Amino acid sequence: QVSVLYFARSAELAGLRCETLSVPRQITSLQLWEEIVKVHPRLAVIRDQVVFAVQQEYVLLGDQLLVLQPGDEVAIIPPISGG
Amino acid sequence: MEENEDVPKDFIKLKSEKLSVDEVSELVVSPYCGAVSLFIGTTRNNFEGKKVIHLEYEAYTSMAETEIKKICRDVRQKWPSVKHIAVHHRLGVVPITEASVIIAVSSPHRAESLEAVTYCINTLKASVPIWKKEIYEDEYSWKENKECFWANSEK
Repeated sequence: QVSVLYFARSAELAGLRCETLSVPRQITSLQLWEEIVKVHPRLAVIRDQVVFAVQQEYVLLGDQLLVLQPGDEVAIIPPISGG
Repeated sequence: MEENEDVPKDFIKLKSEKLSVDEVSELVVSPYCGAVSLFIGTTRNNFEGKKVIHLEYEAYTSMAETEIKKICRDVRQKWPSVKHIAVHHRLGVVPITEASVIIAVSSPHRAESLEAVTYCINTLKASVPIWKKEIYEDEYSWKENKECFWANSEK
């Protein structure tokens, strides 16, 4: 079980800011995205513009294998615009 | 009064209240420094012919603070003479002409603090998880920094 955090446009599309999700302990970042889209299909439109932050480290959507611990924080990061 | 050797410090704050240039520059002032360089990011009232009513900022706060700390660490590696660094970013609603971000850096001589401030704002725009929404009269738009490597450029 991981905590998924939604920000900016992804929070608008998902309709919420935070939830817990059950996912396999080992999963690629792309598979993790697909699990999340199953729950929130409206997120599919931003697939090419987001990255993840897993335990506050940026991860691209792709083949990178994630090893997740219970309670880990996964955030959906749309293109940033600080400053 | 104890000897405070003026240990280099990073002052990082994300807050919803109005930012103060005086407060941020005073944080970095040091008797060992002859230069304080400042950058202030303010909100413009127009974008592509549309009138901007105000901006709204949100942040992944814990990670944003960590990323800003990394920027400070990088600054100190590149410009070892830099003394203090302050980065204040506003969150929530920011009215037109008010500051959304203030960065101040002190160093003994001016070249380092000027370069370090430029590096800070450029890197912040590329790596810190903060988002800006421009509110127009009839609609709004989530902005995307061109420095952000995962944004689509054809927009």
